[in-house]
Order: sequence, then C-alpha cells, then structure tokens
Amino acid sequence: MTLMRPTGSWDGTRLAHEGFVFADDARLVERVVPFVLEGFRRDEPVLVVAGNRVRSLLAAHLGADLGRLAAFDAAETFWRGGHGTLHAYARDLRDLRRRAPSWRLAAEPVWLAREKGREWSRFEAVANSCLDDVPYYSLCLHDARQVPADVLADVARSHPLTWDGTAPVPQPAYEDPAAVVRALQPPWTDRPGAAAVTPVTTPVAARRRLAAAVPAGHRARRDDVVAAGHELVVNALRVAPWAGLATWTDGDVLVVEVSDDGPGLADQTQGYVPPDPEKGPRGMWLAWSLADDAAVRTGPAGTAVRLFFGA
Amino acid sequence: MVTVPRGLPSLTGLGPGDHVCWSFSDDADLARAVVAHLEEGRRRDEQLLVVGASRQAALAAVAGLPDRDALIAGGRLDVQATGDTYAAGGGLVPAEQVERYRSAVQAALDRGRTGLRVAADVTGLLRAGPAGRRVLHAYERLADGLVATVPMTALCLYDAALGPELLGPVALLHPVQHLGDREPLAHLSGRGPRLALSGEVDLTEAAAVRTALVDVAGDVPGVLELDLSDLDFLDVAGARALALAGRDLAGRGVALKVTGARRQLRRSLELFDLAVAER
Repeated sequence: MTLMRPTGSWDGTRLAHEGFVFADDARLVERVVPFVLEGFRRDEPVLVVAGNRVRSLLAAHLGADLGRLAAFDAAETFWRGGHGTLHAYARDLRDLRRRAPSWRLAAEPVWLAREKGREWSRFEAVANSCLDDVPYYSLCLHDARQVPADVLADVARSHPLTWDGTAPVPQPAYEDPAAVVRALQPPWTDRPGAAAVTPVTTPVAARRRLAAAVPAGHRARRDDVVAAGHELVVNALRVAPWAGLATWTDGDVLVVEVSDDGPGLADQTQGYVPPDPEKGPRGMWLAWSLADDAAVRTGPAGTAVRLFFGA
Repeated sequence: MVTVPRGLPSLTGLGPGDHVCWSFSDDADLARAVVAHLEEGRRRDEQLLVVGASRQAALAAVAGLPDRDALIAGGRLDVQATGDTYAAGGGLVPAEQVERYRSAVQAALDRGRTGLRVAADVTGLLRAGPAGRRVLHAYERLADGLVATVPMTALCLYDAALGPELLGPVALLHPVQHLGDREPLAHLSGRGPRLALSGEVDLTEAAAVRTALVDVAGDVPGVLELDLSDLDFLDVAGARALALAGRDLAGRGVALKVTGARRQLRRSLELFDLAVAER
C-alpha cells in the first residue's frame, strides 16, 4: 500500500488550492479524514465548511475528534453571492492569519450546483492569484452527483491541484486566472445601435446621467447603478481625459457600459479581488459587487466594462 | 436641520441664516461681491459690517457702496480689519469670536435693525499655516451654527489664489458655496445638535472632508458623532477619507462614530470596515 500524503509537499507557507471531485461517499471520507487528522498532528487549525451530507459523513468518521475542529460550519448558509461570499471569506482569512501561522480548510461550495452560484468559479480562479501568499491548504470538495459536468470542468480550470489517490498533483486543465475570468464572464455582444456613447469628463456629470438613465422598472436599483457606474467612471478618468457612458436594456436587464481609451487594465481580475481595508483601490470591487454580473474587455486601445442589473 | 449645499450664481437673494463661502479673483471682484452683499443688507434695514485684510482694504472694498461715508458716519456700516476683528488679544479664538458676533447681532436688533450682515475677507487667516487653518475651520463650524440661529447673513470671502487644497475644506463648512464654476457637493454642518454631512462626497471632495472633519473635531477626547442621514452619496474615495479621518482622530483620543448612513453609503463604508453605529 502506498503511503498517503494528504497535503503532499505543501510546506504551510502559502496557498495550496486543490479541487477534489468525488462521486461516492467512501471516496470523500478517504480523502478528507486523513487530511483532517494530519492537520491535528501538525497542530494546525482545521476548518470544515460543507453541505449537510458531507458534514454528517465526517461527523460519523471523526467521532470524538470532531470537537478538535476549529470550525465545522454549514456551507448552505455561507452563500451571499460571489462578492459577498468572497468578502466574508477574505475577512475570515485575515482573522485566521492573526491567530495561526498556517491552517487548513476543507470546503464544499454547494452553491456551484445552482445556476446562480456558477459565477463562483471566477472567484475560485482569482483566489489563486490574490490569496497566493495566505498560508493555508484549501481542499475544495465537489460532489459529482450534485454539480453539473460543465461546472466540474470549470472547477478543473480554476484549481491548480487535483488528487491522484495518494497525493495532490498538478491539475493539467488548470488555467491562468485572467483566462478563466475571460472565458466565464457574460458574452460580449454588440452594443445596440440605439445606445449612444456619451462622453463624460467628471464623475458628478456621470452620476447625473446615470441616475436619469435608470428606467422606471429598475428604480429600486438606482443607487446601485449610480454608485457602480460612478466608480468605473472614476477609474476611466484616471487614465483618460473622458469616459464613454452608454446604457441600454436587454430584456429586463439594464446594461451600463463605461469605456475609455486608456492603456488597458494591467489586471483584468481586479473586480473579483476582495478589498483589504489597509490598501489598494477598491472601486472595481464595489462596482462589480453592486451589479448582478460584469464583463470586461481590455487591451492597449482601451477598456470597456459592462455591468448588468436585473430589475 | 437639513442643509443641502447650494451654489450661488449671483450675490443676491441672501437672507438671515445664509452663510456663504465666496472665492474672488482680484480686488475688483472682491469689491463687487462686498458691495452687492451690503447693498442688499441696506435695503433690508440690516446693520452692516465689512472686514478686510486692513482697514484700508476694507474701505476700498466698499468704495462703490452708495452713501458709504454717510453710512459709516451714521453708525450703520462698521469697517474693520481682520486683525481687529478676529485677532483681538492674540490669535483667533473661535468661541469668543462667535460670541462677539452674537453680541453684535443683539446690538443691531437693539438699535432697531432687522439683523446683521457681514462681508469678511478672511483670506489671511487661511494663509497662516496648518495651525491657523485648524483654528479657522473650528471657527467656521461654530459660525455656521451661529448664523443658523440668529438673524445674521455672512459672506466669507476667500482669495481664489489660495487654491483648491486650502479652499476645499473651508468651503465645506458653508451651506452656500461659490468656488468659480465648481458645483458645490457637500456641506459639513455644525448647525444641528451633532456634526452632519449632507449632499454628496466623492473623490473630488474626499481630501477636503478629511481635513475639515479632523480640524473641527478639536482635541477634546471622547466620542464625535458624524450624522450621515442627509448624505445622498458616498463613493469609495469618500469612505476612505472618513476611515482616514477616524484614524487621525483616534490618535487624539477622539472616537469617530458614524450614524445614519443608508444602504448605499454602508456598502462603501464596509470596504474599510467602518461600522455604522446606532444613534
């Protein structure tokens, strides 16, 4: 029998991010229980956030050791949309970092099984870059009986590690975070001919225009539209003398597009990177979290960002 | 009291309760503003006061006021220098200066006038370095509170050459603002029982809000409440400015307590872990 190495050569100094897919309960127990016990042996805090089924399996197999977990939480209540979930998660990570030099987490993002939760794959991808220096092992659990096959393909491209039966190994389907975000964001369709681009040169002018452009059916979203559009215009005006503003509706979705002819975004995953109160501009994050979804197109000739708002 | 900051296309239509920040480009521009302001006060049967950098400068500013000398001789128009008015017995002491104005308003009423109208070029006070600036900001906040409660109309004049960095914070302390063609967005009000921000705070106002807020807070340790109930918009830069102001104040033992923020504001504030307290 080959010796199992639940975290391989991970040395606890930075993020290890594994996507583990299981189709039966025995496989899950085989993977997670040794992972948890190794953490106990190494005196690392071990956290579990998972669905009910996974939690009851672990409870049955860990027995009295269950009480040694630093957290044993229900994933069902964790989902607050991609931005809300990642923001809360990043805050928890900061707290943990103050308390322990390294830790490990087994997490089951049960929301991937739902249509609304699919955007999470983009956040999983971005975590690889923005959480890279956080010293923990994140073992992400995915039940193939619950999560659709195409979402499992997204899991593969957004997790650099997978499980070979005895140790974590590189995931061959893994892709660069920016590439994942590009591939999974809403498709970039042609702007309708009637949606004219208006140039704005000040944020306050943009706010007045945005407020006026919100249709009656979207009145409840007006604050979101104005605040989100404002932050994008602020960003555009940092790199260009004017920003182009266009709005239109696509079915019952209001689309706000802000464009500039600046040098392009150095990092097009910005809108998915959770805010750190200590540093960094956070306008993109706020804009994208206020909208229901967002898409970006950027290059040396300029940048355009679209925000989508349901009624 | 709700005070939405407003602009002022021309210097007419002002009345008791109005506290205006007006930037002027040169002496002629200053004189135009002063004369228009005082002329309106004369028609309203108010006591008039003009304050300039020197008595000479103040007199020059009212040279175009009809019957100037008669008004002065009749005790209807007082002419003072910033030095006499604001620095009696040393530097400006905000609370004392406000009390002097309160007495002047009462004296005007006792003489049968309908109120007091002041045009004061206080540019010099803003040129007196960071310490002077702090005192001036504390004073403007108290003055705003006074003007709200007595029949007084105040035109605070500042030389546009001071530049936006110095003018931005002081303008915020006035409910009526005229800074060239810049649209006034926010008012940091000392008019109610607690300090309040109204209007909109975005990145164009953010640095000024931080400076003004820290300066008016003073040095008395304790809790400083900032009411955001009438603030309509706060962007990321504005929320960062409030967070930084809170940090500056904490260094002096003053705990900034933000209250009354509605949902849009909370979304910006929470990016900086700024909690909104219950009142």
